[in-house]
Amino acid sequence: MEKIRPAVKSFFIFLAILSFIILTGRAQERRLSYEIKVELFPETAMLHGQETIVWTNTTGDYIPDIHFHLYWNAFKNELSTLAREARREKMFSRYRAGKDGRGWIKINSLTTATGKDLLPAASFISPDEPHNPHDQTVLRVALPEPLAPGETIALNIDFQAKVPRNGLRTGYFKDGFFIAQWFPKPGVYEEGRGWNCHEYHLNSEFFADFADFRVEITVPSRMVAGACGQEIEKKEDTASGKTTYTYVGKNIHDFAWTASPRFIKVERWFRAAEEVTPEEYQKMAEILGLTPEEIKLPDVLMILLIEKQHEKQIERHFKALRAAIKYYGLWYGPYPYPTVTMVDPPFRTGSGGMEYPTLFTAGTSVILEKDVLSPEQVIVHEFGHGYWYGMVANNEFEEAWLDEGINTYSTGKVTDLAYGPGRLPVRFKGIPLNWLIKTPAVYDWQLGRIVSSPVAALDPIVTESWKFYNSMSYSANVYYRASTALHTLERLLGEKTWSRIMRTYHMRYRFRHPKTEDFIRVVNEISGRDMRWFFEEFFFSAKDFDCGLASVETRLKPERYNGIFDDLPTKNPGQVKQLQKKNSSRKEKIYETAITLRRYGQAKPSPEFPLKLKVEFEDGSVEWREWDAQTRWVRFEFEKPARVKTACLDPEAVWLVDTNLANNSYSSAGPGVRLAAATSRILQLAQNILLTISGLL
Amino acid sequence: MNGCSYIGQGVRRASARFRLAVYLWLILMVLALLAAAPVNSLIRNQLGQLYFPVKPLQPFELYLVDVFLTNQHFFSSFAGFLLSFLSLAVVLFVFLNAGLFGRMLTPDPVVTFREFLADGCRHFWRFLLSLLVFLPFLAIFFLLYRLLSAPLNLWSRQAVTEWPVIIASNLRMLLAILLWTAFKLFLDLARIIIVHERKKVIHAYAAALRFLRRNFLKLWGLYLLLGLGVVLVSFLLLLSVSFSGSATPAGLFFSILLAQLFIIFRLFARQAFIGLEYIYFLENRGNQG
Ligand SMILES: [Zn+2]
Repeated sequence: MEKIRPAVKSFFIFLAILSFIILTGRAQERRLSYEIKVELFPETAMLHGQETIVWTNTTGDYIPDIHFHLYWNAFKNELSTLAREARREKMFSRYRAGKDGRGWIKINSLTTATGKDLLPAASFISPDEPHNPHDQTVLRVALPEPLAPGETIALNIDFQAKVPRNGLRTGYFKDGFFIAQWFPKPGVYEEGRGWNCHEYHLNSEFFADFADFRVEITVPSRMVAGACGQEIEKKEDTASGKTTYTYVGKNIHDFAWTASPRFIKVERWFRAAEEVTPEEYQKMAEILGLTPEEIKLPDVLMILLIEKQHEKQIERHFKALRAAIKYYGLWYGPYPYPTVTMVDPPFRTGSGGMEYPTLFTAGTSVILEKDVLSPEQVIVHEFGHGYWYGMVANNEFEEAWLDEGINTYSTGKVTDLAYGPGRLPVRFKGIPLNWLIKTPAVYDWQLGRIVSSPVAALDPIVTESWKFYNSMSYSANVYYRASTALHTLERLLGEKTWSRIMRTYHMRYRFRHPKTEDFIRVVNEISGRDMRWFFEEFFFSAKDFDCGLASVETRLKPERYNGIFDDLPTKNPGQVKQLQKKNSSRKEKIYETAITLRRYGQAKPSPEFPLKLKVEFEDGSVEWREWDAQTRWVRFEFEKPARVKTACLDPEAVWLVDTNLANNSYSSAGPGVRLAAATSRILQLAQNILLTISGLL
Repeated sequence: MNGCSYIGQGVRRASARFRLAVYLWLILMVLALLAAAPVNSLIRNQLGQLYFPVKPLQPFELYLVDVFLTNQHFFSSFAGFLLSFLSLAVVLFVFLNAGLFGRMLTPDPVVTFREFLADGCRHFWRFLLSLLVFLPFLAIFFLLYRLLSAPLNLWSRQAVTEWPVIIASNLRMLLAILLWTAFKLFLDLARIIIVHERKKVIHAYAAALRFLRRNFLKLWGLYLLLGLGVVLVSFLLLLSVSFSGSATPAGLFFSILLAQLFIIFRLFARQAFIGLEYIYFLENRGNQG
């Protein structure tokens, strides 16, 4: 714990809240606010809550109803949309629960401020295709009369909920709880289009409106609690043995919390002046075309709730979080909230690696390797969601790539810079084996490209989350193929343009709900080029991009060509004569080299962005060619006094979307000892397996 | 005779017939070459001319993944090939085991390849049968394993930290290995009796059970002691393989050499187990109630 007196600390928090309100500005015009009081009963894993929602119709529509998410009903029975989807994916056992393990949420009463009971006018709906009459995760509440533009409605809800044992992103084990998606939450009303309020799907995250939250959480005093927003009060009632924590969160669109007796709470400050040097500000400001003053970062209070079993990893957690706050802040915009809470989630609650506004969960293991970037990558990623999802709040149901893809791209940039490449983990029975089996150190973009290549032709990146071919296609497309495409776009447009695109997109859509079209608009605007083709090829269609060398042939040119060469005019009469002359007069050997390139995949670049081919000859000379890959193949021919030594398509590795890099290069020498090592290792593996089988018989 | 001298004699018996390990190593090598040939030729075909500069675009291993991912149809048919290959190999292994036991149990330590094959033929059917008779015992093995690991599972399921989970999981593995050695010892003893006393399979199993009723604990202890030595040497060999590095031709040569040494050592260890058990059986035969 940092030594800082409580009074000084609260002063800092006050300053931070104040600057936050000034920074975000629109606190008063927010159309939604929540006041929730909730108590956790750990023995029965039940919640009892009272919620007041004040919702203002800021659109021009007359709104007849309100749609609520009741997410925990996804764990209520085996016919919910989530359960059906999990069964299709053969992942059902993960969410199957005994009678006590099921989760649900029940609204006891729902009244207006005047006391009118709206519950009789409420019904479950299934807005998504295919229609599922058994799903109870969306509740439609008809209003007594349509809500007029500008009108405000206040609703009082009393609800009870059972925490799911094997929930998705939420759950409990013994007395460790992680509570997310737990309260009745309205969808997002879109002007002219109505409510955007989807069912809880297996492959999908969330979408909600920015709001102000005030949440009072009562838990047994032996538990340590943490939540989104800032803790402003903690009241212990010794008689009942219970403690009530009050949290305030401004301009956030979700609220999650956690409580466990096995937490240690640690606080540290991110002090911008110590983390970022003036040179770094200067350099970044130049890239962005801003002044160093404009990109100055604020201090942030970092709160860590970590399981006691992981106590030794506290500094490792903070180091990763510092790197994330620094680079996301420098690149995309300063972190605007006064605090960030990092949770090492309670053991076996299935809630690790998830983002909530101003709070995220990571997750680690008691035995860690030094050079494997776990939990670092998760920490950077989930903090990063504070930017991509938390502030730039796209619809995760419909266009998940906007947060997952952009954030996977950003995570890789941060970890590559702060840590360099990380080794792939090898574990057996929970024990790291990296000391025995040497795995390669890889950069995030290298791994992302490989992971995404099998799904390139399966689904377009821009697909509604529950409509992907399967979970694998969802995650590989939305996270890794999107991030690989963004890396490619960055390499096509150059670092400076790209940095300005990302910053503009972030700052313009901070505290808003942008769509893919908004992103494309910013790309085109800042780059000054029409890049729509790129999105059409790689985001809106499922096409494989694979360009490669089909063949490389070098042969000694014959001394002379036989046959009749008369002087009748041909298309290119001079050339033949010239060649004949050159051949007969030359002393050195001439080699003819033909390199054939093929476009194996369906996707192709724009003619404005051709692929480059670099050919190196044994005499040291180098030739470059360009190919726009509009046709399926092309052949380049060279006449040189030397054989070809190496040929490399896209040598600067711009086109990372290429799903097969193994066919992009040629060298007469081959990869040498590595190939022999690989094949001999496969042979040894076969020997050992055969020997083991023979030993068993 | 004390424990160490049993092990010493077993190892000596194995060393005297070291040729057997070499024969088996050669046969295994041919089999492994055959099994790995399709994959290795695919890799050579796809990466044989790869340009891999000092600062490569990605580690070589990721190029292997590229090849794997872009040739998935190949790998699904390769899996079919492997399956039929393995079922043939299983029959061959029974034959080789018959030869191995046959030659390990002869008084004459000079082993020729012809004799090895002849023993394989001689005992093949009884060895195959001995495997079938072993099946009910295998069921007992799994039953015992489930029974004994139940408390570990319970402990692990209730844990609120990761340690019990990791420890239980490793203890389960250890338990499985220990149990398996006991059952393997039994199977091998039955085969020793088949070869040594020319008994029918069922009679051999009965004799083995009778013998183990008196001698099980001591024999198992010796078996485990030898096993510990084998594990230690294996560990050192594996560690040196992983440290030898294969970035240079000399390093690669050295690591291939060590890897082959490891295979030969494993074969030799198998001989030593049979030797130990045979010596123990010979010494304590009169001692079965
Ligand atoms: Zn994510």
